[in-house]
This record gives sequence, C-alpha cells and structure tokens, in this order.
Amino acid sequence: MLLVVIALGFSMAIMICIPAGIVANQEATQNLSENYESMISDMQEEINETATLIECRTSSRQGRFAGMPSGMPEGLPSFGFGQEVFVNETVVDEIRSIEGVKDVVPFLEVSSEETTSETMDTPRGSFTISRPLYTISGVCLISSFIDSYSILPTNITAGAPLHEGDSGVLLISSNLSDYFGVEVGDKVESYGEYFTVVGIYEPAGQGTSGTRQVYMSISDTQIITGNTGNSSRLDVYAEDVSDVDGIAEVIEAAYPSELHVTTYEDRLANLENMQEMYQTTLENSESTLSQTQTTAFQEIVIAIGATSLIALFTMLYTVRERTKEIGVLKAIGFSNWSVMSQFMVEGMLMSLMAAVVGVVIGIVGAPILSSLLLPHVSLFPTQGERQFGQWGEATNPGIFQSESTAIALDPQTLLLAFGAAVLLGAFGSLYPAWKASRTSPMEALRHE
Amino acid sequence: MSELVLKTERLDKVYELGRRKIRALSDVNLQVKKGDFISIMGPSGSGKTTLLNMLGCLDKPTLGKVILEGVDITEVPEKKLYKIRRDKVGFIFQTFNLMPYLSAIENVELPMESTKKSKDERRKRTRELLKMVGLSGREKHRPSRLSAGEQQRVAIARALANNPAIVLADEPTGNLDQKTKYEIIRLLGKLNIDQGTTVMMVTHDSHIAAHSERMLFLSDGKLLAKEKKGTLVTEKMLRCPHCGQKLPEDAEYCLHCGRKL
Repeated sequence: MLLVVIALGFSMAIMICIPAGIVANQEATQNLSENYESMISDMQEEINETATLIECRTSSRQGRFAGMPSGMPEGLPSFGFGQEVFVNETVVDEIRSIEGVKDVVPFLEVSSEETTSETMDTPRGSFTISRPLYTISGVCLISSFIDSYSILPTNITAGAPLHEGDSGVLLISSNLSDYFGVEVGDKVESYGEYFTVVGIYEPAGQGTSGTRQVYMSISDTQIITGNTGNSSRLDVYAEDVSDVDGIAEVIEAAYPSELHVTTYEDRLANLENMQEMYQTTLENSESTLSQTQTTAFQEIVIAIGATSLIALFTMLYTVRERTKEIGVLKAIGFSNWSVMSQFMVEGMLMSLMAAVVGVVIGIVGAPILSSLLLPHVSLFPTQGERQFGQWGEATNPGIFQSESTAIALDPQTLLLAFGAAVLLGAFGSLYPAWKASRTSPMEALRHE
Repeated sequence: MSELVLKTERLDKVYELGRRKIRALSDVNLQVKKGDFISIMGPSGSGKTTLLNMLGCLDKPTLGKVILEGVDITEVPEKKLYKIRRDKVGFIFQTFNLMPYLSAIENVELPMESTKKSKDERRKRTRELLKMVGLSGREKHRPSRLSAGEQQRVAIARALANNPAIVLADEPTGNLDQKTKYEIIRLLGKLNIDQGTTVMMVTHDSHIAAHSERMLFLSDGKLLAKEKKGTLVTEKMLRCPHCGQKLPEDAEYCLHCGRKL
C-alpha cells in the first residue's frame, strides 16, 4: 500500500510539475521578448537622440552598442581585453578645431586594480573569467557637458550627482556600493587614493550583475592612474547631423590607428545586427516552448494514464483481496451502492494520500523533474557565428537571468492537483468498485 | 399459537457444473415459528449451507418459495434484497467474519449504518447488545485483540443489531474449542429464551445440536422425516401459560405477551 501511494505520488508529482514547468518556460520566453522589445526601443531612442555624436575610442572595441550593450547608455569600457591605449590633449584640441565640431567630451575609462573571478555557465560549458572588479569612468565635469549630453548616470538612488569642479568624490553604482558595503559619505580607496561617495546610482539593466562602475572627475582619474592629459574615449558632437559623416572621415583620416570612430549609422547597423540576433534567440525559445508544450501534453497524458492505471490495478487487487469482506458486508445488508461507494471512497482516499506525497515530491523535485521531462527554453543563440567571446562580459542580466528553474507551485496548482487526484482515484476505482458491488455474496463468502 | 416466521415450499436447488447437474436441495418443506431454536444436522455436502443461503437471501432456489414474514423472498428483485438481509436476517458465520480494522463496537454498528437510526440510537443499541453477549468493557478492542469466543460474541451481537426475524448460524461453534463451544451455544440459547430470538443453526456436531429445541436432518438435499427434540441449555425455563413462549425461570411477566405469569 505504501509503495502504491509512493508510486502514485510520483506520477502525480509529474502531473504537478509539468504545468509548472510550462508556466516557467512561458514566463522565461515572455521575459525574453519583453526585455528584447524594451531594449531595442531604448536603443533606438538613444541613437535618435545622439545622432550628432561621433564616438572615438582608443581601443579596438567598437564602442557603445557594439555586440551586446551593458550598462546603458554608457558604452563598455575596454578592460580585460588587450592593452589600454590613450590619446593626449593635443588630439582633443585638434579634433575640436575641425569644422562643424561643436564639442569634444573626453573620457578616461580605466579598470580598477582589484579583480574578481566569475564563473559563467553557458550551454558550451562553464567559463571562469577573471576581470577587473569595476570600471573607473573619468568624466569631464563641465556644466555645459553635464547639462547637454548624457555623460553621467541619471538614476541616482542616494546622495547627489557630480557637479562641475568636483574633485576627490565619486558616484558609485549600487551593485558596487553593496559589494563594498559603503554608503553616501563613506570613503572608497582607488589606486591608493581615497574618494568620498557623493551619490549612488542604479546601473541600467536589471539584476545584480550589471556593470560595477564609479564615476569621477577626469582629472582625478588622470592623476591616480598617472595618465595626465590622456583620454581613452572622445565623444565628438557635430553642430548638425549633416556634418557627422564629414567629421568622421576627417578624424579617421587623421588618426587611422589611434581612434576607432563610430557614428549613428554604425550604431544603427549594430542595432540591426542585434535585432536580428535577438530575433533568432526569440524564435529559438518560442520553438522550444511549443516543443515543450507538445512534450508536456504527451507526458501529462501518460501521467494521467499511469495514475488511473495504478489506481485501477491497486483497487482491483484490493477488491480481490477483500472478496470475503465484501461477501460479509452484503450478507449483513449492505446494498450494492454502499459497497461500491465504500471502495470508491477508498480509491479516492488513496489518491488523495498519493497527492500529498506527490506534492511533497513535487515541491522538492520540481526543478529536477521538469528539467528531466521538459526541454528548456534556450536563452543563448545557437548559431555558430555567435562566439561567446564576442559577448564578452556583457552578458546582459536582463536577458540572461532566466527564471526557468524557479518553478513555483502556487496554491491554485496544488488545489488542482488534489482535485485531479480525487478525480483520477475515482476514475480508476470505478470499475473495481463496480465489480465489488456485483460480487455474489454467497460466492464471496466462500472465498478464502 | 406462535406465528410463522419462515416457511419454505418445495425448495429445490440445482447447481450446474459444466454438463453435470448437482441437486443440492430437493423438495425441502420447512416451517419455523417465532421463538424457535432449530438446528439442522447432516454430513458435509448434504446441503445444509445451501439451505441456509436460500433462507438468508444469499442465493436463489431453482424452484420453490421461501416465505419470510409473509414475503416470498424469491420474488424480491436483487436490488431490494439488501433490505431483507439487513432488517430480517442475522448471519453468524463459522469464521466470525468480523472487519479486522474495526473495533467491536464498530463491527456491531455496521448493519445499522444504512438504517434510519440516529447515531445515538445506534450507539445505545450497540452497547446494549454487547452487554447482552457479555462483552461490556471490551467495546474498543479490535478482533485481533479478542479471543475466538469473544469474536463470535461480537458476531452474534452484530447479527442481532437490527432485531432480525431470524438468526441464521452456519456452524457457529465450528472454530471454537470445547469449552467455548458450550459458552456460545448457551449464549444462543439464552438469547432465544430471554429475547425470543428465532435461531436456525446448521451444525454437524450432534452434541451442540442437542442443545437446541428441534433437530432436523438433511441428507443428500432432502429433509428427513425424523425430527428430534433437544434440551435447551438453560433447562430451567418457564413457558408463558398465555402465549406458550419460552421464558427465563425468574420471569414474572411474559416477555412476549406482557401478561403476568
């Protein structure tokens, strides 16, 4: 009996877990598509707003929107990949003197001295990446720049933003402040110097694994890293959109190896690339989802079949075992109906007990069971040309934080499970109970 | 005098075993009056149990009638037979056949379950019955914790639960040791006298049968003409001068017609 209950429990657990697994996969896909849409529209907006921006980077990385963006709207710093190269002030002055250039905003983006190791699980295996703990963005703190261009994070959650002339202070991303355990007013050491935290901001992108970053004055960054006069990135703003191509050409011609130039056109092209890539991912996950549903349907049918069959055979066995008892009950005046209902109730009680076991197994084993039984929504593009390296550390948390393992057994599912248990128990017991009720009392009494 | 509780008319039962026909009962005519204590004797295979099954609505005769309290039960449709089994007949088996997972009190209550009696009434009646069979204080015990004799007492109480017109006992002492056998037969005799319970018992033990009032003999499915009178175990008994019913020796009023002796 105990074994039967456990076996029944298992098949019920499967019945419970599968719908939960489907829901989880559906949610994952929905998350994916929502994130995708909001990200694309954010980026579209951003590109439109910054049509006059010509981005010049010293590293080979393509700059903002290259590959997967991370801490929007700022591009990715070049840490961890090759030598850090810089341009000096004369370059800034020369670019500023090009016709049609409105402003040149220099940045100095360097990696922190501290590093951190992270293990990433991907379908291709797990990687351990050692990377700088955070990025230091040295920003040219001039009021007109701060006011006109989005060079500083805007979503400050504590303290104040940076102002013109600020020195010895920094703005810290919330994930880094959590990591350090610092608050506004506390001091943070970087390259041997102490900086006061004036503000904490929420990095773009959800989750806790967004880029850890600090913002400070460019001159502070230059001093602590010994890069006086150097910049790693120049944001060149044209007077008019029509000037952009001309300026970009001039810069590219003048500094073919020192600066990598991207204009809104490049960025649009990147966006299209990315759109395509996301589309593929989405299609993949949707096809997985439909596959999941088919598999789930088949499995549920099998589980339901198994459950009622187990109930059927158990009850048949019980009825056989207790033939004499049935004979006695009938001899002392039990009607066919009462005999039948007694066995029906017994079958339902057994299923109900099994449901309790099933729910326990379900709660404990839902992730395992559903991952065993259902294909997962793939959150990584499967095309060969998308090399993991290209994604760099920019695993966008909003996209990759899949919830497909967090299977929630809500009360509704549980109630449904108990309902199904009673129903299947009743269904499985129907024939055995009917058979019991039809037993001839005389023959049943002779049964030993 | 006493009214007729049970009557059979030309009862025949033929079993078909493949092409062979076995005549288990042939032309059995029997009359049982209210308050009778009858035992049916005969060797194995003489049709004793078959006869009892016919009388208790467990089996249908091939021919003939069984009239229980004026109703021909062979004509009652199968679906309604349970009521007769429940209300008119009390069964006592050789192997007690108690529900092993129920306590004594629950076993006795079982036949009352589908009756209109309230829960309190049922409990009250059950306690009364268990007291009657001498099992007060053992109500909560399950059959496995009762001796064979005690189990049969519970079974007797269960048979009496709905005040049946007749108690049919199939070898009630067959599974008991010598001492217990006589306790049980004495109990049946006592119930017959004190409560006026009509008892029909099948046995092949002539010593046991000798404790009943009338002994009938079955042989090859036929009821023999000879009939013996036995002595009821409780020898010291009275008979009501007005209605002729048996009474315990200390009775002052007749338990059946209520008149003073």
